[in-house]
Amino acid sequence: MSDKTIRLTQTVKGAGCAAKLAPGDLDRALCGLDLPVDENLLVGLDRADDAGVYRISDELALVQTLDFFPPMVDDPFSFGQIAAANALSDIYAMGGTPKTAMNIVAFPGKTMDISVLRAIIEGGLNKLREAGVVLVGGHTIDDSELKYGLSVTGYIHPERILIKKNLQVGDRLILTKPLGTGIVTTAIKAGIADQEVTGRVTQAMATLNRVAAETLEAFEVHACTDITGFGFLGHLAEMVVDSECGVRIWPDRLPLYPEALEWAAMGFIPAGAYNNRNFRGKFVDFSATVSQPVQDLLFDPQTSGGLLIAVADAEADRLVAALQANGIGSAAIVGEVVAQPIERIIVE
Amino acid sequence: MAYELDCRGMNCPAPVLRVRDALAKEALDNVMVLVDNDAARQNVSRFLEHQGFRVNCVADGDNFRVGGTRDGTAVCDVMTEFPAVKVTRPDGRKIMVLVTSSTMGRGDDGLGEMLMFNFLKTLKEMGPDLWRVTFVNSGVSFTAEGSEAVPILRELADSGVKIMACGACLVYFHILDKLQVGEVTNMLEIVTGMKGADSVVTI
Repeated sequence: MSDKTIRLTQTVKGAGCAAKLAPGDLDRALCGLDLPVDENLLVGLDRADDAGVYRISDELALVQTLDFFPPMVDDPFSFGQIAAANALSDIYAMGGTPKTAMNIVAFPGKTMDISVLRAIIEGGLNKLREAGVVLVGGHTIDDSELKYGLSVTGYIHPERILIKKNLQVGDRLILTKPLGTGIVTTAIKAGIADQEVTGRVTQAMATLNRVAAETLEAFEVHACTDITGFGFLGHLAEMVVDSECGVRIWPDRLPLYPEALEWAAMGFIPAGAYNNRNFRGKFVDFSATVSQPVQDLLFDPQTSGGLLIAVADAEADRLVAALQANGIGSAAIVGEVVAQPIERIIVE
Repeated sequence: MAYELDCRGMNCPAPVLRVRDALAKEALDNVMVLVDNDAARQNVSRFLEHQGFRVNCVADGDNFRVGGTRDGTAVCDVMTEFPAVKVTRPDGRKIMVLVTSSTMGRGDDGLGEMLMFNFLKTLKEMGPDLWRVTFVNSGVSFTAEGSEAVPILRELADSGVKIMACGACLVYFHILDKLQVGEVTNMLEIVTGMKGADSVVTI
């Protein structure tokens, strides 16, 4: 059957590539808009956090998010899994428990067999089941290019929201998944990535951040976010901007896909990485020893990336050990929060 | 006259693939690539640099003309961070040994480990031509605490051989902090090292 061999990444213009609107453009569109005010909206658009939080009672709040994108891998079932893991991740990054989800689908019904759509949704359901989330509905439109994602709603305690802007001097920064998925998926689209790498990275992107988030519960975590389209430094910049501290990053300790370094040097870099650099590069100082490919990886947009966690120094080693004991082998301490210079990221 | 490629209207990675295919078809020393977005400009520049070209880039209205030449001069250097590695070594050759595993050959891993250890022990017989020994994947275990190869590699390092261990691999196996001999390296340095060596021996 031809559907078995269809390469989804060849059917769309931007894969991991140009899929996300450049961050500066989004800011310009939203700047100065008159947003409705509600005292129960604990985390809203103005905070630019991972998900919105709305208080229902003193013990309960809703946490909501939405994510969708064009395929970054060729296999429909894997694409569904990755899209679901990516959408659920925002809930985990806030410290919430996802409960319900709805599908968002744009499907080229005239050119693609409907069995492809079925496989994508099956992939999504596979991850929802793993997360203990029910699918309550969805919306599908006919479109020239395939896109899939989910809107996810969960519970969270209003007093236990893990926001991203709460770095404290002395904290250690921990990253739970390797960097480089944008470059790797660009290489997949280019047809130069072999099956082994494709399989390894696909599996990592399809891995839920659930175990990582549950591991955090026993620790004194000050801030947390998940690494997605804005790249490691883009999301880190969101943590640092308007804070009263800076961070130092130790690039030798960063978990990353070694293949991505080589492909970056060859120019297989998604446009999003350049957008991220243009938008957030001004907050970052690279030491002279940081090679260009490593810099590229640090701005590379991630699909379903890991959690970036700020935790008290005294607990950092124990948290990494706990994450690794729970199967998150890539987890590593990658930097520290410093008093000076404020609002800057130094990559040593 | 430069070989011209019109890559306007293309998103990554298409322009790089176009250039790669053109270079694969015939040996070109001069290429001119027309692109219409900054990501394509930078990606094509990186690719040409990677292929040993000197890269020039000029804005042309809303487009960019990315020129690559293997012997010419540049109008403006885009990628000065990556000078090509120039090899000058009048006396003797430069041999780079790439150790990709903790075992030598296939069959029995116990035997393979013994063979690899023996190989490292015997490497010094290459004499002054031995330039670099680079360890990747499970091979990095030889450079870390607990390996009997550490004193052997130290001896090589003391005699002027550069010992290098892949940083990403050390991280992957959680032994970055246990590195006992040599320097941490990355894929770019490995690749440029291969280019700089007169011969590369992969084990």
